[in-house]
Amino acid sequence: MYKAVGFLCILAGCAGWGHSLAGQERERVRHLRMLTQMLSQMRSEISYGKHTMPEICLLFAELNDGCYSECFERIYKGATEKGGTDFPKVWEEELGKCLEPLPLREDERRTMAELAKSLRFREEGGQAGRVGQAEAFFEGRYRQAEETLENRSKMIHSVSILAGLLLAILLL
Amino acid sequence: MRAEEFLGLFPEESRGRWREVAKLAKRLQEVRLRAGMPLTILVDNGERFVDRQGMIVDRPEEAARPSPEELENMLGHLCRYSIYAFADEIRQGFLTVQGGHRVGLAGQVILDGDGRIKNMKYIRYLNIRIAHQIRGAADLLMPCLFEDGRVLSTLLISPPGGGKTTMLRDIIRQISDGTAYGAGVNVSVVDERSEIAGSYLGVSQNDVGIRTDVLDGCPKVEGMMRLIRSMAPGVLAVDEIGSLADAQALQMAGGCGCKLLATVHGGSMEEVRQKDYMRYIMEQGLFERYVMLDRRRGACRIVEICDREGKPCTRQ
Repeated sequence: MYKAVGFLCILAGCAGWGHSLAGQERERVRHLRMLTQMLSQMRSEISYGKHTMPEICLLFAELNDGCYSECFERIYKGATEKGGTDFPKVWEEELGKCLEPLPLREDERRTMAELAKSLRFREEGGQAGRVGQAEAFFEGRYRQAEETLENRSKMIHSVSILAGLLLAILLL
Repeated sequence: MRAEEFLGLFPEESRGRWREVAKLAKRLQEVRLRAGMPLTILVDNGERFVDRQGMIVDRPEEAARPSPEELENMLGHLCRYSIYAFADEIRQGFLTVQGGHRVGLAGQVILDGDGRIKNMKYIRYLNIRIAHQIRGAADLLMPCLFEDGRVLSTLLISPPGGGKTTMLRDIIRQISDGTAYGAGVNVSVVDERSEIAGSYLGVSQNDVGIRTDVLDGCPKVEGMMRLIRSMAPGVLAVDEIGSLADAQALQMAGGCGCKLLATVHGGSMEEVRQKDYMRYIMEQGLFERYVMLDRRRGACRIVEICDREGKPCTRQ
């Protein structure tokens, strides 16, 4: 009886671990999609709305929720309140902090955090084009991650259950 | 203008240099930055200089000289690190920043194929003109701008820096809020250069009255007709008329039953009469009052008020 319960516990634990890993992959896809959408909106706010970067951050703070909302609000305040501080610096710091715990790759975090350094164009077409490059990068990563998500998810679940079975057999 | 607001005009790393100048913020009129040239400020119509430690000095030899990189950083900061968003303003040679302050720019102009100004590069000269809202600036003038409780169309005339915009802003505020001479009226403002209301994120930074609608950043000719159609103003206000097209748009607005408030550059009535668009305005009898202004010891002063024919009503 105890052995059966132990067997089931090990199996459930491994399956849960696998589920959690697959969940991280889904989260990664979700964040990549959100970042792609934000960059797309940033591009259109630059080229059509001619909004400044702090104004775009304020808009993002209002439109998003969770960590992005707080992050963009801090960037907006940092860039505007008390005369404002160096925008690329505050962008890099705040986005660095915001993206750190998210399931993204290092180059994805760096691309987003360093985007503000390249925002020195004198006309909106060039500026929107630079944001468009970052958007294309994230869109590529998003498509890639979405395509592999289902297969990877199935694989992770199968491997975790198999690992659970193997562990249970070895231990029991 | 508060000291903190003044310091906010400068990038974080250079604010230390401006702390002493910030103490004079309320009396400050201009700050001029030229690459490789002494930092100059205009306080109470007097020219002074700023040295490396931020102290105010009288001799240009002792003054700090900003580098081209400092001016580029300054421009980036003034444009909120979004120079693209100010491309139209830069093309026109000035930009308006939070608080309604105007920054004049000069450098090398880039022309397009048709010889029109496309943009500007190597911006090496900045002239920050500090906007001061002076509540009550128009108190002396207000009795002359009403007749039987009705607002009279008025044109303010002064040389550059003579206080036209300051006066216009206060007239707008008082007409909008209502005064002892007449009840409050809906006022629409075409604020082409964001100098009257000093709008930031669409919200007026200056007090322009409770019945005032502001169309910010819109060319005057287009803006006037748009406001008449959409906002049904009793009074329409514009700053710095400078062409026959502006005058014709004013005539159309006047023909719609609106009272007009406007400003124009000029040293005297005789001088403004030389301009073709002013001759047109006077022939059409668009304004019932012409007010000559100038600035003495930093304060805006009413020199003369003329009637519809341009004949003096009062002289101060």
